[in-house]
Amino acid sequence: MKVLSIALNTFRENLRDKLLYNLLVFALLMIGSSVVLSRLTLGEFHRLILDVGLGSINFFGVLIAIFVGIGLVSKEIEKKTIYTIVSKPVARYQFLLGKFAGLTITLFINTVVMALGLLVVLYAQGVPVEGMLFKALALIFVEFMVITALALLFSTFTSATLSAIFTLALYVIGHLTADLKVFGAKMDDLSRGILDGIYYLLPNLERFNLKGHVVHHLEVSGVDLMLIVAYGATYTAVLLFTASLIFHRRDFR
Amino acid sequence: MGGLLLLACVGWLQGELDRRQDRSLVQIEGLAQLPQGEYLKPALLGYHHLGADMLWLKLVQVVGKKRNSADEYEWMYHALDVLTTLDPQYAYAYYAGGVVLGDLANRPDLSIRLLEKGVEANPDVWNIPFLLGYNYYFLLGEPAKGAEYIMRAARLPDGPSYLPGLATRMAAEAGSPDTALVFLEARLRETKDTDMREFLVNRMKEVIIERDLRLLERAVESYLTKRQTFPLTLADLVVAGTLPGLPQEPFGGEYLVNSHSGSVSSSTHPNRLRTFFKRTKPPAYLFPKIEPLYSFPRTWE
Repeated sequence: MKVLSIALNTFRENLRDKLLYNLLVFALLMIGSSVVLSRLTLGEFHRLILDVGLGSINFFGVLIAIFVGIGLVSKEIEKKTIYTIVSKPVARYQFLLGKFAGLTITLFINTVVMALGLLVVLYAQGVPVEGMLFKALALIFVEFMVITALALLFSTFTSATLSAIFTLALYVIGHLTADLKVFGAKMDDLSRGILDGIYYLLPNLERFNLKGHVVHHLEVSGVDLMLIVAYGATYTAVLLFTASLIFHRRDFR
Repeated sequence: MGGLLLLACVGWLQGELDRRQDRSLVQIEGLAQLPQGEYLKPALLGYHHLGADMLWLKLVQVVGKKRNSADEYEWMYHALDVLTTLDPQYAYAYYAGGVVLGDLANRPDLSIRLLEKGVEANPDVWNIPFLLGYNYYFLLGEPAKGAEYIMRAARLPDGPSYLPGLATRMAAEAGSPDTALVFLEARLRETKDTDMREFLVNRMKEVIIERDLRLLERAVESYLTKRQTFPLTLADLVVAGTLPGLPQEPFGGEYLVNSHSGSVSSSTHPNRLRTFFKRTKPPAYLFPKIEPLYSFPRTWE
């Protein structure tokens, strides 16, 4: 209950954030612009609309997750509003969970709005919509959750600027981790062990990328999809748990 | 007011820079400088399909020009190679790229390299091996290899029903104009692009000329054995009964016979279609270029 009320409060607070609307408008403009771009291309104009649409939803969603996410805790500390919450009978982990849930709701509504924008464009252009599109959107949303949790984790122990840098860096690294395994395979046992360790520790965000599947009408088995969602959820849980541990010991003076 | 003036100034400066620095030069050279696909792909952080789309958009604008230089076609191949590394399932890019490199650029080597990459990544797409067959048959004059690829295309689920017949004909009558006409008709049926259709119709007419010339050559030969001399005009062949009637030249010209040598030719196309002749020397594209032929600054048409 306490978590829910913090979540709803965070959600309301997010809705007042101008950054959110700027990014949302940009995303919708990008999705709309794919119609103009598809006039210039030759051959498969469907894929251009889908690629630009899904790419925009993913990219702007990540920006919202990072730049709103880093402010979740640090803003409260800066404005000293954290004292009024901590002094109430609310456990610190509940506070964090509420914050996380609040931004997740915001991101969910954002994703739905952007997806509706894309669906309108697809419908207007007569592009058939397949079930894979919704699976890809679902996994994009799981990626947002992981990134939000990352941003939240960093914002529990460092400033907003540094959190943004760390989260962005991990976003980039998260899409490149597959290379670690490739490099590791070419090294001796010890180095391979270390690289493998880093590989399993870092989030593999490329797992949530099914954008290409939508365009090429490829299928993903139900089991794979479940495992990917489970991976995202578990990773998020680990991040939130670590964040609560750090936040629990944090001194607000 | 001042702001508007400044904005107009920005617009003018932008236009002036565009005019001075020739946009198309920047665009085409950009293709040559693209990093290898293997390096570009990870840098796109999962947006590589979108990257392939953007590259395709840029490429289409370059190909949109009526004529490109030999270097530009090489850069185009490089860009297509990068694009298909970013998105190996981009079947349309292989096909369209293969057509441009093979038919328009006359670089069957590059076209085939691209298409073979396509076959490997998309074993279920029929029109990639189909175009490979076309390239081997028409551009390289290797009908056996061509037939092999058409057979492969014919085995795929979506392949049109005429493919098996075409493949067997190709294998049986390698190098015959009638087979070529059937093949070209098949290509024509698959093409919606008006420029490409024009090219194919033109090519069909050229093949018809080749077919007619072969017919006339045979008639002249039997005329020679009958009368011990070459005919003065082609009409003599009909009079002598070695030819039922004179074929019509498809481009609106006429067929001519040399009464001294007995050789026949078309008034519109004095040179014969090289496709059906075995090459005596390797084509120019097989020789590696040692240094680029261009120097800066270079102007583009």
